[in-house]
Amino acid sequence: MFDPTAVAVVGASQTEGKVGYEAMVNAAAFDGPAYPVNPSGSGTMFGEPFVDSVADVDDAVDLALLCLPGPAVPEVLDECGAAGVGAAVIYASGFAEAGEEGEQLQATVVERANEHEIALLGPNTSGFVVPETSLLCSFASGVDEIPTGNTAVVAQSGGVALVLAFQTRRQGRGVSATVGLGNRANVGFVEAIEYFDGHEGTDAIVLHVEGTDDGRALLETCRNVDTPVVAYKVGQSDVGEFAASHTGALTGDHALYEAGFAQYGVPTVDATDHLLDAAAALGDSPTPDGPNVGVVTAQAGPGIIITDRIQRAGGVLPELTAETRDRVGEILPGITYADNPVDTGRPMPAFGEVVTAVAEDDNVDIVLVYELFEQALGFPVEELDGLAERVDKPVLFATEGIEADLAEDRAALEEAGVPVFETPERAAQAAAVLARYARFHAAGVDAEVSADV
Amino acid sequence: MSDQIADARADGRQTLTEAEGKRLLADAGVAVPSFEECASADAAVEAAEAIGFPVVVKVSSPAVTHKSEWADGAGVAVGLDSPAAVADAATRIFEAAAERGVDAEVLVEQAKDVDAGTEVIVGGLRDPSFGPVVLTGLGGVFTEVFEDTSHRLAPVDRREARAAIEELQTARLLEGYRGSDPVDVDALAAVVEAVGDLVTEHSIAELDVNPVLATADGAVALDALVVLEDGA
Repeated sequence: MFDPTAVAVVGASQTEGKVGYEAMVNAAAFDGPAYPVNPSGSGTMFGEPFVDSVADVDDAVDLALLCLPGPAVPEVLDECGAAGVGAAVIYASGFAEAGEEGEQLQATVVERANEHEIALLGPNTSGFVVPETSLLCSFASGVDEIPTGNTAVVAQSGGVALVLAFQTRRQGRGVSATVGLGNRANVGFVEAIEYFDGHEGTDAIVLHVEGTDDGRALLETCRNVDTPVVAYKVGQSDVGEFAASHTGALTGDHALYEAGFAQYGVPTVDATDHLLDAAAALGDSPTPDGPNVGVVTAQAGPGIIITDRIQRAGGVLPELTAETRDRVGEILPGITYADNPVDTGRPMPAFGEVVTAVAEDDNVDIVLVYELFEQALGFPVEELDGLAERVDKPVLFATEGIEADLAEDRAALEEAGVPVFETPERAAQAAAVLARYARFHAAGVDAEVSADV
Repeated sequence: MSDQIADARADGRQTLTEAEGKRLLADAGVAVPSFEECASADAAVEAAEAIGFPVVVKVSSPAVTHKSEWADGAGVAVGLDSPAAVADAATRIFEAAAERGVDAEVLVEQAKDVDAGTEVIVGGLRDPSFGPVVLTGLGGVFTEVFEDTSHRLAPVDRREARAAIEELQTARLLEGYRGSDPVDVDALAAVVEAVGDLVTEHSIAELDVNPVLATADGAVALDALVVLEDGA
C-alpha cells in the first residue's frame, strides 16, 4: 500500500475539478509510474495512454486508486484481483457511514478484497501521502507541498490527516506519511500502526481517533510496537453505548479511551498541534528515563508559564543537585534564580553552558530551554548540537522573535535535531508528554510486554 | 463456569441473586459479611443468633433486583438487634412476596457499621469495543454527581488496581480525613483486581459491587449485582 512500484488511477479524468483528475495529477508526481485507467478516457495523461482496465496496464501495478462511485467498486476490485494488484484506495463515500445500503456495499467490497487479498484504504477517505517518494494518493490540492518528516500521521478522518500534514508543513517539520483511514474496511489502526512501526523513516506515530469497534486491539498494538505512539481521542462530550448500562451511566466512552491509552503506554493530548509537538519531542529525542524536567529560561515570565504547565500536565520539576547549582553559580555569579527553573534573567553568552550544566544533572531526565531571540547573541547552537545524544536525554527548545531574524539559527538547531517550539505552552505540553511517556514505560508497560513473550 | 453462574444459567436467569453474587465474590477472595438464606421467619431468627446481632434482613429472590424499593420498603430492614425484630422483618418479606406471587427467601446478614469506613463503588463490565473493563470511584455523591471514576481494561494486577484508586480526585479521602483512619487501599485494590478477573473469566455483562466498605482493616463487599451476558 504505502510502498508501491506502480500506481493505477482507476476513473482518471481529464476534467479539472473531478476527483479522477485531481488524483491523477497528484499520482503523476510519484517517483514510479502512474497509469490512467478509464474506459471512457482517450489520449494520454502525463504521457501515459488511457487503458480500459487495470488488467490492460502493461506493468505490474500494485496500488490502485479508485476514483469511482461506490457501486462500481466491487467489479473493479475483481479486475484488480485478476491483475494481481495488492492494494487499493477507495475515496468514495456512501458506504458504512451512510445507512444500511452503504453498509451492505461495504461488506461486499471487503469480501471481494479479502478474496483477492487486496488491502483497502477507505472507503470515505482523502487517501494517503508519502512525501519522501512523492506518493500523493490523495485528491486534495497542495499535498505536493507537504515536506518529508519522521512522524507518521494515522488519522481516522481523511480530513484530519490533511489538517495534520499541512500543519507539519507550517511548523517546518513534515511527515513520513499521512494516512486517512476513513471507514477502515480492512486497513485500520492496527494494520497502519504495525506498518509504520516497521517503516524506516518513521520515528513517531500519531493517532487521531474518533472511535473504533475494537479498542482493545488498537491498545494492544500500541503496546507491542517499539515506535512511540501519541493519541488524540476526539469526542469528550460523546457518550457511547457503554453509558447505556447501569454502571456505564457513570462514564462515557471517552474515559475508557483515555484510561486505556495510559494503561497501554500511550500519552494522549487534546489538540492537533499538541499531537504534532508531542511527536516531534518523542521522535527526535532519546527516550527519557523519568518525568523530571530541568528548565532553563532566559526570561522569568515564560519560565513560570512553562513550570506551571509541566506540573499540571504530569511532569515534575526536581531540585537540581548541589553540584549543578554550584556550577551554574560559577558560570553566572549572582544569577537570578539558580534552582529549577534556572533563570538567567536575559540571553547571555554563557547561556549554552548553563543549559549543558542542567542537562548533565543526574536529577534531570528531560531538558526544556526557553529564550527570546537576541540578535547579537543568537541561539547556543554549538552547545545544543549533539547534547541530547551525549547526555541521553531529550533537549527541547522554545523561542519567540522575528521569524526572519531567527530563521538561520532556528534552522541550525533543527538541523542539529533539536525539537523547536513556538510558545511556552506548547513546549511545556511536549515536555509533559515526554514525562508521561517515561512514567508509563518506567511503570512496567514494557516489562509486561517482555513478560508476555 | 462458577457454580453460581451455572445455577443461574440452568434456571434461565441472567441476573444472580445477591447471595449468589456474594458467593461468587467470596470465591474470588473478596471479603463479604456473614450471611445465610432462610426459607422461614424461624430460620431467619436462628441464623441471626448464629451470626450475632445486629443484622440486616433482605428479600432474596431472582425476581427482585432493586431490593430497597420493593414492596414499599419491606425488602430491606437494617439495624435489627433482636430476635423479635428479625422475625418481624422476615415475616413482612414473606407476606409481601406471597401477595405478589413471588418466590422469595430472606437473606440474613451481619450488619456492618458504614460510618466506620468509606463507601467505594467497584464495577466491572464488558464493553463492546474494549472487552472486560473495571471502574472504581467513591460512593454516593462523588461518583454520581462529580463523576470521579477511574477506569482500567481488565484484567489488572494489584499495582494497576492501586493506581486506578490513587488517581481518583477523591483518593485523599481514603488516606484519612479529619482524623479518620486511612483505609486499607491494598485490600480495596484487591477487590478491583478480583472484579476485573471475574469479568474477564466469566460471561458477565456487568458486575456492580456497590458499596464496598473500605476501612483501616480491609474492604468488605456489602452488595453485589451480577448480570450475565445474553445467551452464552
